Amino acid sequence: MISIDGSRGEGGGQVLRTALAVSLATGRPFRIERIRAGRSKPGLLRQHLTAVQAAATISSGVVEGAALRSTELTFTPGEICPGSYRFSIGTAGSTGLVLQTVLLPLLLAPGASRLVLEGGTHNSNSPPFDFLAKTLLPLLRKMGASVTASLKRHGFYPAGGGRICVAIEPSRLSPLDLSVRGAVHTMRARALVSNLAPRIGQRELNRVAAKLDLASDAMEVCTVDAHGPGNVLMIEVESDSLTEVFSGFGEVQVRAEAVAGKVCSAVRTYLSADAPVGPHLADQLLLPMALGAGGSLRTLGLTPHTETNIDLIRELLPVDIRVQRCGRHDVRIDVSPI
Amino acid sequence: MPAATTVLSIVGSNLDRGGKDRWTRWRPSVDLTRHDDLVVDRCELLYLPRDEAIVAEIEEDVAGISPETKVRTHLLDVRDAWDFVEVYGALHDFARAYPFSPESEEYLVHVTTGTHVMQICLFLLTEARYLPGRLLQTSPPPRRNSNQPGSYTIIDLDLSRYDQLASRFVQEKQEGLSFLKAGIATRNPAFNEIIERVEQVATVSSAPLLLTGPTGAGKSQLARRVYDLKRQRRQVEGPLVEVNCATLRGDTAMSTLFGHIKGSFTGATRDRPGLMRTAQGGVLFLDEIGELGLDEQAMLLRAIEVKKFLPVGSDREVSSDFQLIAGTNRDLESAVASGQFREDLLARINLWTFRLPGLASRREDIEPNLEYEIEHSSQSVGHHVTMNKEARRRFLHFAAAPDSSWRGNFRDFNAAITRMATLAPGGRINVATVDDEITRLTTSWSDGGSSDDAIIEETLGAEAAAAIDRFDRTQLADVLRICASSGSLSDAGRKLFAVSRQRRKTANDADRLRKYLAKFGLEWSDFRASTKATHA
Repeated sequence: MISIDGSRGEGGGQVLRTALAVSLATGRPFRIERIRAGRSKPGLLRQHLTAVQAAATISSGVVEGAALRSTELTFTPGEICPGSYRFSIGTAGSTGLVLQTVLLPLLLAPGASRLVLEGGTHNSNSPPFDFLAKTLLPLLRKMGASVTASLKRHGFYPAGGGRICVAIEPSRLSPLDLSVRGAVHTMRARALVSNLAPRIGQRELNRVAAKLDLASDAMEVCTVDAHGPGNVLMIEVESDSLTEVFSGFGEVQVRAEAVAGKVCSAVRTYLSADAPVGPHLADQLLLPMALGAGGSLRTLGLTPHTETNIDLIRELLPVDIRVQRCGRHDVRIDVSPI
Repeated sequence: MPAATTVLSIVGSNLDRGGKDRWTRWRPSVDLTRHDDLVVDRCELLYLPRDEAIVAEIEEDVAGISPETKVRTHLLDVRDAWDFVEVYGALHDFARAYPFSPESEEYLVHVTTGTHVMQICLFLLTEARYLPGRLLQTSPPPRRNSNQPGSYTIIDLDLSRYDQLASRFVQEKQEGLSFLKAGIATRNPAFNEIIERVEQVATVSSAPLLLTGPTGAGKSQLARRVYDLKRQRRQVEGPLVEVNCATLRGDTAMSTLFGHIKGSFTGATRDRPGLMRTAQGGVLFLDEIGELGLDEQAMLLRAIEVKKFLPVGSDREVSSDFQLIAGTNRDLESAVASGQFREDLLARINLWTFRLPGLASRREDIEPNLEYEIEHSSQSVGHHVTMNKEARRRFLHFAAAPDSSWRGNFRDFNAAITRMATLAPGGRINVATVDDEITRLTTSWSDGGSSDDAIIEETLGAEAAAAIDRFDRTQLADVLRICASSGSLSDAGRKLFAVSRQRRKTANDADRLRKYLAKFGLEWSDFRASTKATHA
């Protein structure tokens, strides 16, 4: 059985999700030890258990050690059973992270699936729904995946209560090449506000207008209906090869201008560089390429998460991942099945 | 499978309140379902009628935050959330009716919300295992207005971590025990058992205690220590009143015990409260209770049973609440059989009977008591007293020998040490001192000779004798013995001050002795008369 050291690198949760997805897709069991060793709260936390439970559900898998604060876990997947699933996730874990665990295995499965995911749709520390819908899923579709997602209700931290629906058809993945960005032709900024004063969103957009020189018809404040309060600023950058989404979350005691300023800096870094793939997207594309037919991308840089993920995928799958630093904001990654 | 987790939480009227700003406030009953390392499978919300609206909001919010948590609500029929009886009753009813299944679920009792009275009641019910769970204490996030869930602590009142607390109780108990033993380590298991039992009973009950055992076994000392212990634990506020019933013979017995009112008999020139009333809120130690007259016994019985009695000459009952400790060296059962003691009174005071063994049956305690008494004597004589090795060996050998009867028990023993400490040259008890003492003890036991107390009582009368401190007794008795065997005041003085005499130029031994005797109201002539009477 494959044994994984859960204390490695960054992102204990990321290691677990990648391991689960690979195990589901390949049917190979694994054992993970020293889960999140050295953290202030070592072992499995609630959001990790949610991912494990979802993985077990779609595959009738057998899990040992699936308990809070458990530092060892053995997962033996059964056969993946496509179908309709509903996962209710508390705000501790986001819908996006659970989807990350089950999406690829279900895509590669022989039947269609319908997923309803309830919980947080726009949480900091995980990709918001808009990133999923506008960045990741279009790229997966480019690779041949048949997957669509729709947002039924927004869910912000901490109140949650959001809902997304995902439709998946059996797919075969082809290689993806994202080495050239091409021209950036559209930029849009949207500030979502729920149960808060809309002027918070307006202040964010004012800052975006000043920093990125966006016209007012490219910006909008959307008041959305969610269970609790929430605010997120998202800037979409559409180029020839993809749409990148950058986001920042409004927080108590953090000025709206500060939230907007951070997002604008990320966008400006992206625009000033040449690579098409933002740091977070790179991480998300590795597994589809490794489980599919490989591919190449150029990204702005490797986050610690991405580095950990690359190491883990090399261990788990028969792929060759080459990383090549071409410039300060330019790293090339080639994934090729062996 | 890990057990499912159920939280019992009282809806906090203030902390858990809803409203538009509720997501930026810490709400204990909601936020306890938000922790990333705690899954609450079920939350039992207990609420007061006025908090119905809050409950509805909590249910809705928890559903979004923590879909794995099933919320159930229970209305508490409590009108005043600060009324201890009402709250405890309602929570107790809930606990009794709740279908706990500790085998498959673990329970956390959230004690952060609700009034302090409610929190205390939850604690008590958990501690008493009516709620078979652990306590859950939650705290707000460090920064105000942050939307983090804060932190939580689980406290298991059963867990060995709380052994530290438990051991503090044990230590306190140990302190209580050694307190009763007057700090002396006892090696006698039977005696240990008795002391433990006395401590146990004395600290939880105010029922009468009966201490039996031979004279000098330490009944009055134990009674005093019990009183001190209870006082230290703030279980009594009144005084300790001690009386030897043997001194209460005759007409005055009634009024001494129960008091009288002015003019009730010749000589009753003013009201007298009596010892029973003096002992109000405290402890009454009746030593030699077997010596009490039948009338007094009847009155005492009523005083114990209904805490009321009639002072002499009064037609109005007065009340006094005290704990009775009775001492006796007599066999009260046979006293009952011969009609000298009331059966109902015996039954009443016989609830907790402790028989203190005499020193002869506790010989293993002689050594530790020797240390204690030497230390004690050091304090009395005002300088450090030691005992050399050989002297110690010789004394212990004598003390433990089966021939040594220790007839006067600890009274004899303590007197022996006090004498040796007093007579020790330079504060050092040597073999010669010990040999003298051994001779003295042996003689007193063989000829049925008088103990210190007996001599003092004979000379001064029982009442005056009872008024003399233990500190003075041994010295006085020894002085009296010397006086009895001396022809004149000067002769006695010479013997008593033989050591210091050698260092002085002028001899004023007779004067020193006269002054000493005067302190006890004695003159040489009285003394001669008294000894004559004894020998007559």
